[in-house]
Amino acid sequence: MKLPNYNQRLLSIEKRTQRFMLGAIGVMLLVLAMIAARQDYFSRSTAIYFITPNAQGLSKGMAVKFIGFKVGSVQEVSMQPNATVRVKVSLDDEYVHLIGQDAKARLVKEALVGESVVEIIPGSQQVKQVTQNSVLEFERGQDAGAVVENLAAQLQPILGDIHQITSSINNPGGDVQQTLKNLNLATGGFRETVNQFTQLGVSSNQAMGRINSSLETLDKAIPKLVDKADTTLDNVQSATADIRKITNDSAGEIPSLVRNANALVQDGQETLGGVKKSWLLNSLFTEPEEQILPVDGYVAPTQP
Amino acid sequence: MRSVVSILCGLVLLAGCGEVEVLRSARLEQATEFNQRAQRAFQRGEYQAAATLYEQALQIDVAIENVNGIAINTLNLARVNNVLGRSALAQRLLDQLLEDKALHHAPAHLAEAALQKALLRLQANDAADAALWVDRAAVYCESDCRMSGVIDNVRAGIALRANDADKALQLSERAVSANSGVPIEHANALRLMASARLMKKEAEVALRLLEEALVIDKSLGLPEKIRQDLLLSAQAYEMLGKNEQAAQYRDRAARIAATALK
Repeated sequence: MKLPNYNQRLLSIEKRTQRFMLGAIGVMLLVLAMIAARQDYFSRSTAIYFITPNAQGLSKGMAVKFIGFKVGSVQEVSMQPNATVRVKVSLDDEYVHLIGQDAKARLVKEALVGESVVEIIPGSQQVKQVTQNSVLEFERGQDAGAVVENLAAQLQPILGDIHQITSSINNPGGDVQQTLKNLNLATGGFRETVNQFTQLGVSSNQAMGRINSSLETLDKAIPKLVDKADTTLDNVQSATADIRKITNDSAGEIPSLVRNANALVQDGQETLGGVKKSWLLNSLFTEPEEQILPVDGYVAPTQP
Repeated sequence: MRSVVSILCGLVLLAGCGEVEVLRSARLEQATEFNQRAQRAFQRGEYQAAATLYEQALQIDVAIENVNGIAINTLNLARVNNVLGRSALAQRLLDQLLEDKALHHAPAHLAEAALQKALLRLQANDAADAALWVDRAAVYCESDCRMSGVIDNVRAGIALRANDADKALQLSERAVSANSGVPIEHANALRLMASARLMKKEAEVALRLLEEALVIDKSLGLPEKIRQDLLLSAQAYEMLGKNEQAAQYRDRAARIAATALK
């Protein structure tokens, strides 16, 4: 009596197990499909290559950017029989028409901190666009640390020079101070002569003679002073020219560093914002609200 | 049938995950940021900086007609201006809020405005007007009143000004239990109770209460309150005939006053 019932229950359990398994497989397939979509398996891409003497800083999955946009990723980094490194890059087809055969791949670090990326430097528009298995020229860009280090190394001797010049300006026995002292003495002598001329009423001939003599002294002193001042100014000019040169050299790198650091911070903020809004974590991050100061219900007596 | 129920349960569970996010404009977020920076400045005792930041938050709230924010930042601005000694400006701000006919403010905010107004009147030695405003605060605060402890403290303060030690004692005792979870008001209630005890010439009891208040005020880092505790303690020691200890407490209070920190 009981056996058919038991078999029926077994069948029902089997059916439910089947349904559960099918559901689980379905969910797994969905997750796999999502991962594949994320990994760009469904997007059409073009593989291009570049050759580099070593693989330092290069890794699989690294982003490939073109004018700041992600256009692909590094698919493979492999060593060749001739001890060079071949890097395979997968480019999204929608961007391929923008990249000419003469474009270059450059390894750059986006900011002082953070990941390196491969940046595609656009070639000329007239040249034919890259196609499957095209090979690009590769170069290594200076990373942020190296740029700052170079800048510091070049600035150091100039700062030393400037320090020396300012010390010489401040030195009481130095050229500039002496020049100023001489100038001061000369103008003092001249003033004294004029005073004597007006106050004591000496004869005009005598006064004119003394004025002439003072002017002669000035005539002799001024060219020397001007020469010394010229030398000092030349030194300063040469130092500022050096600084300008270094600044110009670094001008191309620094804005890009700042821009990249800014983009990195923005990316970080967006990621954090996204994490905060995800349903698993949003309960941990409550939205801030305007707060009210608590009332302080005590008034001090006028005379305690 | 069972599978239908399972699916429905699943959907209900998923609905829990799909919470509708409240939209917050960038302007509102900016106002919130100003408000939070002001709160931090206030806590550090940088009152001028706090006032400027509350003003900026209020300006944005007015521009986007965030009624809640308008009330909150007006109250905060009144409070900080009072601390800065600009009580007339504080009164004007509170009047703006209390007499606002265009916007409908929450009773809790109006209650707080009325309470701040009562404190300002008490500060100006106008105990009668202060009593009117504290009654008005109690009316606003009738339903879901979280400020009953503060109201009791203000009423106790008014009773002390009227030299009614018994009433002050009764109200401050009630305030002590009502404010057990709010350290600043708990210490205020203890100080008021000590003042009432001093008025009744019960110096030893007052000293014990003041010691308790002093510990709380020190933990909160409130120089003006610490000074008040020390001055009242000095008064208690004088009452006990311990003039040397009284002088020590006065000296300690004077040192705090010399820092000019509030």
